[in-house]
Amino acid sequence: MEKLNILVLEDDKLAQKIMASRLAAHNVTLAGDLKTALKKIETESYDLGFFDLMLGPDDDYSGLRAIAAAAARNIYAVVVSSSDSDEIIDRAYELGAGDFYAKGNEESNVAEILRKFIQNRKAAGRADIFTSSFITGDAETKAAAGEALKYAPTELPILILGPSGTGKTSLAKVLHEHSGREGAFVAINCSAYSEDLLEAELFGYRKGAFTGAADSRKGRLLEAHKGTLFLDEIGTMSLGMQTKLLKAIEERSFYPLGSEKPEHSEFRVISATLEDPQDLIAKGKMRFDLFQRVHGYSINLKPLAARKGDVFLLAQHFTKGGKRLSFTAEARAWMEDYAWPGNVRELKKFIDLLSSGEGGRVGLETVQKHLKGGQGAPRRTHGDGMDAVYADALSRGLEAALENISAEIIARNLRENGGKKTKTLADLKISTRLLYATIKKHGLETQGDK
Amino acid sequence: MTPDTTKLLHDIKSRCASLRNAADLFKDCSSGEKKEMLALMTGAAEEILKTVTALNKAA
Repeated sequence: MEKLNILVLEDDKLAQKIMASRLAAHNVTLAGDLKTALKKIETESYDLGFFDLMLGPDDDYSGLRAIAAAAARNIYAVVVSSSDSDEIIDRAYELGAGDFYAKGNEESNVAEILRKFIQNRKAAGRADIFTSSFITGDAETKAAAGEALKYAPTELPILILGPSGTGKTSLAKVLHEHSGREGAFVAINCSAYSEDLLEAELFGYRKGAFTGAADSRKGRLLEAHKGTLFLDEIGTMSLGMQTKLLKAIEERSFYPLGSEKPEHSEFRVISATLEDPQDLIAKGKMRFDLFQRVHGYSINLKPLAARKGDVFLLAQHFTKGGKRLSFTAEARAWMEDYAWPGNVRELKKFIDLLSSGEGGRVGLETVQKHLKGGQGAPRRTHGDGMDAVYADALSRGLEAALENISAEIIARNLRENGGKKTKTLADLKISTRLLYATIKKHGLETQGDK
Repeated sequence: MTPDTTKLLHDIKSRCASLRNAADLFKDCSSGEKKEMLALMTGAAEEILKTVTALNKAA
């Protein structure tokens, strides 16, 4: 549980003792009078404060002054009082109180206040993510990432899907940062290594394990102990390597190369692939049991071309603190219509290029000069569905994109026909061979041999 | 000066709530804490008696 800095203003010694016990898991400061509380508020830093309003039998609700001071210092102020006077409670809210509860049953009252406070702070943190670490204004992407963030503090493995350069690593990092895991975020791009090198990178090795192993080295799995292991491009891993990784994930232990002593590591797996995992399984390139192990929750990131509004949001973010760029109306329109086959990564490179060389004002000619293929560069077609297909074709090739669409159409028609193959053959005017090949490859449900 | 009965009632409610909370906590306290808690509970009870006496005079 998150440890909070809490101030309690309470004149009654017994009530102080009770609050100290109920808040024992946090850093608590007790103030017995208004003067002490005001000084603490001014000089110390607190997340929230519990304030009694009537400090002594003849006091005139002087605790209200502490509420105002706390609110001014952005401390979440909770009123704790035996007064049921609406006037006093309204006054406390006017002064900036965030919550109120009547004294008594502190066990559930305090727990509920803390639960709400932590939840609200996390929600506020999520909103900030989209303007600081995972930039997007796209409602669909925000919703999907927000949903994934709900699973950040769990052990559930997360699989991030999406074309190259869409921000899969950034999202994985954000998920780790919100996981509360004390270990490190360790990323490895599986496509960058040959099978032998990947094994050495992941599991580590002992001195002399192979030619060139002059010293022992800790593997990424061990580096990720109590943290997160991010496996990028997991689909490129060989089947043999997948078997070894699966064993390490399941047993939480593994043998470094050349070692007979097993190592233990409690890492959480987040993985990413730009290919369709079902397709990889159908092609025999991905083990089904490994897929089962890594896809507890899946999130699909849209290509930049399908998040038109993000182009200038990201451009602005990339120039933060550096040279400000201003684009002419023609340049803006062209950029918004551009297909961005390299997605966010391409945009970042483009902005870096502009920031380091050209002047602050950027025209159409400059934009066309730097983006792929100049004037003949790929442009996004209109309609969001088509944008995604187009970006998919640019990312994986036209043949793969068309095959995907063909499979989707056949699957839909089979569903609508209750799985009757003869009806689908007639409806779509396709060959028996194409239908059966698609059913087998994608594991589509059909009804007998109708 | 006549004591403000609203404030006296508030004080009684507040201290009674603390006593109730203390009773809830008591079983989970260590023996050392129980001693401290009992002293505080006794103090609170005495304060309640004083306030009720004041309220009796004011009523």
